[in-house]
Amino acid sequence: MIKKLLAWLGALLFAIFSIYPMLYVLGVSLRGDNAFQSQTLEIITSTSTVKNFISLFTQTDFLMWMRNSLLVATVTTFLGVAFASTSAYALSRFQFRGRNMMLFSLLATQMFPPTMLILPFYIILSKLHLIDSFFGLFLIYSSTALPFCVWQMKAYYDTIPKELEEAAVLDGCSRWLTFYKIILPVSAPALVITALFSFMASWSEYVIAAVVLQDPQMYTLPLGLRSFQASLATQWGLYAAGALIVSIPVLVLFISISRYLVSGLTIGSVKG
Amino acid sequence: MTHIEFSQITKSFKDNHILKGIDLEISAGEFLVLVGPSGCGKSTLLRTLAGLEKMDGGDIKVNGKSIKNIEPQNRDVAMVFQNYALYPHMNVAENMGFAMKLQKRSASEIHTRVKEIAQLLQIDHLLERKPKELSGGQRQRVALGRALARQTSIILFDEPLSNLDAYLRSQMRIEIKRLHQAVKSTMIYVTHDQMEATTMGDRIAVLKDGQIEQIGTPTEIYHRPKNLFIASFIGSPEMNFMEGSLVQKLPWPEAQKPGQILGVRPEVFKISQGSLKTSELELGSFQVELSENLGGQQMLHGRIEGQSIRIFADSTEFFSKDQKISVKIDLTKSHLFDKKTGLNQRLLGA
Amino acid sequence: MTFLRLWILWVLTLTTNIAHAEKMRIQIWHQMIYGHRQVLAEAIQNFEKENPDITIQATYRETEELRSSYQAAAMGGSGPELVYGPSDQIGPFATMGIIQPLDGIFDKEHFAKFDPLATPLYQDKHYMLGALVGNHLMLIYNKKLIATPPKTTDELIAIGKKFTVDLDGDGKIDRFGLVFNYTEPFFIAPFIPAFGDAIMKNNAQPNLDTEGVRGAFQFILDLRDKYKIIPKECDYETANALFKQGKAAMLINGDWSWGDYKEAKMDFGIARIPMVSQTGRWPSPLVGTTGYSLNVNVKDPARLAATLKVLNYLTSEKTQLLFTERVAVLPSLLSLRENPAVKNNPLLQVSSDIMTVGTPMPVVPEIRAVWDSLRIQYQKILAGSLTPDLAAKGAQVMAEAQIKNMNEIVQPDASLWIIKIIVLLGTIWLLWASRSGVMGFIKGFWGPQRFVYFMMLPAFVGIFAVIIYPFFYNIAISLSNFSLRTFQDWSLVGIHHYVEALTEPKFYSLFLKTLIWTISNVFFHVTIGVFLAVVINQVLPVKTFWRTLFIIPWAVPQYITALTWRGMFNQEYGPINLFLQRFLHLSPVQWLSQPFTAFVACIVTNVWLGFPFMMIVALGGLQSIPQSLYEAAYLDKANAWQRFRHITLPLLMPVMVPAILLGCIWTFNNLNIIWLVSNGGEPGDQTHILVSYVYKAAFNLYRYGYAAAVSMLIFLILIAWSLGSLRTQFKKEQKS
Repeated sequence: MIKKLLAWLGALLFAIFSIYPMLYVLGVSLRGDNAFQSQTLEIITSTSTVKNFISLFTQTDFLMWMRNSLLVATVTTFLGVAFASTSAYALSRFQFRGRNMMLFSLLATQMFPPTMLILPFYIILSKLHLIDSFFGLFLIYSSTALPFCVWQMKAYYDTIPKELEEAAVLDGCSRWLTFYKIILPVSAPALVITALFSFMASWSEYVIAAVVLQDPQMYTLPLGLRSFQASLATQWGLYAAGALIVSIPVLVLFISISRYLVSGLTIGSVKG
Repeated sequence: MTHIEFSQITKSFKDNHILKGIDLEISAGEFLVLVGPSGCGKSTLLRTLAGLEKMDGGDIKVNGKSIKNIEPQNRDVAMVFQNYALYPHMNVAENMGFAMKLQKRSASEIHTRVKEIAQLLQIDHLLERKPKELSGGQRQRVALGRALARQTSIILFDEPLSNLDAYLRSQMRIEIKRLHQAVKSTMIYVTHDQMEATTMGDRIAVLKDGQIEQIGTPTEIYHRPKNLFIASFIGSPEMNFMEGSLVQKLPWPEAQKPGQILGVRPEVFKISQGSLKTSELELGSFQVELSENLGGQQMLHGRIEGQSIRIFADSTEFFSKDQKISVKIDLTKSHLFDKKTGLNQRLLGA
Repeated sequence: MTFLRLWILWVLTLTTNIAHAEKMRIQIWHQMIYGHRQVLAEAIQNFEKENPDITIQATYRETEELRSSYQAAAMGGSGPELVYGPSDQIGPFATMGIIQPLDGIFDKEHFAKFDPLATPLYQDKHYMLGALVGNHLMLIYNKKLIATPPKTTDELIAIGKKFTVDLDGDGKIDRFGLVFNYTEPFFIAPFIPAFGDAIMKNNAQPNLDTEGVRGAFQFILDLRDKYKIIPKECDYETANALFKQGKAAMLINGDWSWGDYKEAKMDFGIARIPMVSQTGRWPSPLVGTTGYSLNVNVKDPARLAATLKVLNYLTSEKTQLLFTERVAVLPSLLSLRENPAVKNNPLLQVSSDIMTVGTPMPVVPEIRAVWDSLRIQYQKILAGSLTPDLAAKGAQVMAEAQIKNMNEIVQPDASLWIIKIIVLLGTIWLLWASRSGVMGFIKGFWGPQRFVYFMMLPAFVGIFAVIIYPFFYNIAISLSNFSLRTFQDWSLVGIHHYVEALTEPKFYSLFLKTLIWTISNVFFHVTIGVFLAVVINQVLPVKTFWRTLFIIPWAVPQYITALTWRGMFNQEYGPINLFLQRFLHLSPVQWLSQPFTAFVACIVTNVWLGFPFMMIVALGGLQSIPQSLYEAAYLDKANAWQRFRHITLPLLMPVMVPAILLGCIWTFNNLNIIWLVSNGGEPGDQTHILVSYVYKAAFNLYRYGYAAAVSMLIFLILIAWSLGSLRTQFKKEQKS
């Protein structure tokens, strides 16, 4: 009984720990005076107003940033899922030269400090004339999210019995059809996770977007939000309101797929 | 009606030779069982026929035509897997109709066929369910149904019953036999269970270490085992094997050579009553150690001259521990094996 | 399928919509604050009306980012035609050769029209045309509280003491006499010459081991500890908020901030920063300009002409007047000084008077080293770990070292030849050894396995382009002398940077700190994650609700998380301190100004955003543990802990190990949190881990070659570690 009580207590404590910061942002966004600071612990005070939310939509380009971000995120997600699902399948099912090397090099890509990639990225993209183009972002985002997604998809494929494909082949499927009609539908939970990771990678990415996108018409949400944040004069109210709205789609996404999240997130055993 | 001929099939994984030149002919409409201990290559042989495994050497001919270079999806072969391999995202009807759908058959045709097979297998009430909503036995039936629905001339079974409990297994054995009679496809059935093999097969091929040890009808294999391995592998309870002094009691000249083993199935022993027939031999005095009641019969575990023996007796009789009974054997049903070569000496002359 | 088609169509229309028009497009990157941006937009609109053949695209970038992205862009041969920023950026830009001198473009008479402050010289050349003059610090006071501002520091202290009060008597100060962003050296710079000498001498040499620096340091310490008229911890935002809420009588801030106070409808006045009573000298704020520089890549005559047209328009009387009227900045054109908009603006008049005691802002690149070393030493004083005397000495040494590093052009040494030979031999060997492999690979596309190859191809082309190429590019940089002075023409020099990094004790202490960072983060991620997973699985009802609740931190973008937590750790206003005070009656902790607590703050933040991932992984693992095992353990009378220890944990491990491995790698390389929560390593560069150190070296100190070498070392460390742990894991699995 006491143990149960302690468990409840712990859970409640962490619940507060995990939601308070967002409530705090909510509090800032509702404050009318463009101040990050206020000596109050209350979230909603007598001066609370939704003014910031209104001006976010009416006076800034928030909707345009939202549209750009959605575009970038959906295309990235689609490409990420397409690339990760196919190459992970090859890695999971076929023995070929350099397979282990490839697996390890995928892991190794996660080990390089990402900040040092910015300069080379810029050079590649400007050579390909992809600066100020969403295609540059598609390319970088879907590729940077790939290594993790491939690992995760491969681990999931590894759990699918081989007989399923053999049955499909004997039923008359070509290799591609086997993959498309049998393996992909069966891997739905892992695909959802891959999609989620690709989406997250592009939805909230800032540094690369800042290098690639220079036209304010093409700004994504993180870039837009950062423009509220001048060096010595930040529009805290707008920023907080924007931050909340930016987090909502991701949160909705997380909630709607949380049942897949638990069954689909197999990073697998190290054996590979 | 499809006739299949394997010739000189070889297959190895690295240094491990799985199949060492298999020759096997299966006549049209036959039900052939491949049986053997695990690792003997029986599944691999089956899979080479399906095209799931590439063979290193040899050839397979179906109705006289080599299928070596035909892709598995074009081989007109259906297979039932040990773990059923049902498509988890499709319901039963879709599972069964998948192959036909790929062949671009009309929806109504598929529907009719699926319905027909489902009725035959008594699963027509399950057609809308997903595999995970089915019991083990039901899944087995669906897997069977999927193979049958395709109307292929060859159906392969890879240990399909090993995940079922004993009762379901015996039921399904009969079911599959019945289906074979109904659909007349050529069927090859792989199992490690000799009981399944003997009850189901028109013919049985016993494999060991990548080679076929003996092919024949179940009766043939049971009564005329070619060698020591087959004699001990086929039949339950296992054949009794005796050495030394007991062997020398036999009236056969071969029995007098050293290194011979006498093999007698438990049911061939009889408790001596009255006079012996000419084909019979009084083997000695059997000392009872334990009795196992099997319903109509009982099995007595005991010893003759120190060698452990099992025999059958009528269950109405009572035997006490350490009771001594004299027993006889039928010589026509007894076997003599050479210890070194394992070969059945009694079959050599014949 | 139809859905897919529609979707592709949608993507195509969206992307083609954004195709550009045929007009000449001039880009400007600027760092104007929010209020100024709107005026700029209006000016641009006017310009485009008059010049229909030119469109202007103005892009806002935060100051530091403007710097780093402009560097990357200009180096890549493109970038905006005009870059707008404070005058101190021309030193580095001109040294890198990414902006062009304006002397050949405008004649002397043109420059003469401007305030000399607006046309700073760097190495006797003009690189910038200022659009406004000022950017200087001053004393801003709340007129409701103070009628006449203090003239001397003694008066300042006296008035300050009077207004530093605890209004409601709860033992906590509710109003301060003076607030300002005193942790930033720029804000104490005016005091330094007032106590002694300027911070730079002979144009480009640091002059920090002086009475001036010591005096200024001591003065601030006294204000805080002796006279207690400034808060214990105060950054820019806090100072601003306190002043706006009337909780501070006086503030030291720059002319850019006026708009903010006007908008808040404050009645405020401005004055010189009070004269230092000890020396009788006025503090001398740095006065500079903010203006436009011309990209070196603008060469095409037509484009240059259009760009100049824009530049002239933006620095014209008309535009400057617009800015002066709207946001009250002092125009750089001398002809406008007599304009009523300037003349009749009392703020601008007082401001001009303040500027008379100012010092021109140094524009040499060396000033960055001065700021950086001052900041590091000064924040150590504030944290109580150094005396002003030692700090001043240390700042001088550090600044000299940084300048040496910055200006150093490393020459090729013997190792270069060895490396070249190794690379050559290696390439030949690789080509020879892989000839069959490569041929096999190419043949694979026609062979029976071609399906596999085609499946792999798209992903690996992407990964190669985006990760492998930059990786090799980095190796090249790490072996080169790429830095501030060789920005446009770097060359390979050998293993110099590796030797340098590995012989510095700093590398090892940073490595140790990174280890502590990684281990403590991953430890908490895993413990909390597993704890919550077990509790959700076994105790709590409505599992989905709790699971969703705990996922929240994962769903929030990292940059938002970081800034939110930075706000939460604020000494004065952060909810964490408020909570400590109100409910636990503890004294507030100066989280972000002490190295240890600042590091703890970073860890807490990172723990917050990282535990949900581990929780989800653990939940997945728990699902696969059969319930019957627990029932069996129940019958064996195992208690809850024993059940966890002997069933849950061992069965969870195979699932957790890969997640932990990945978690370690990600945490080891997580720049965002450290950088944003500690504001780039504050206090005093003492919260850095290896990656943030690399980031600083590359983008703040221009030491690209060195940064690339350190990042290669990070990569090698991680490779070695993960190979090692994979191997032990593999061995364990072999055994069991």
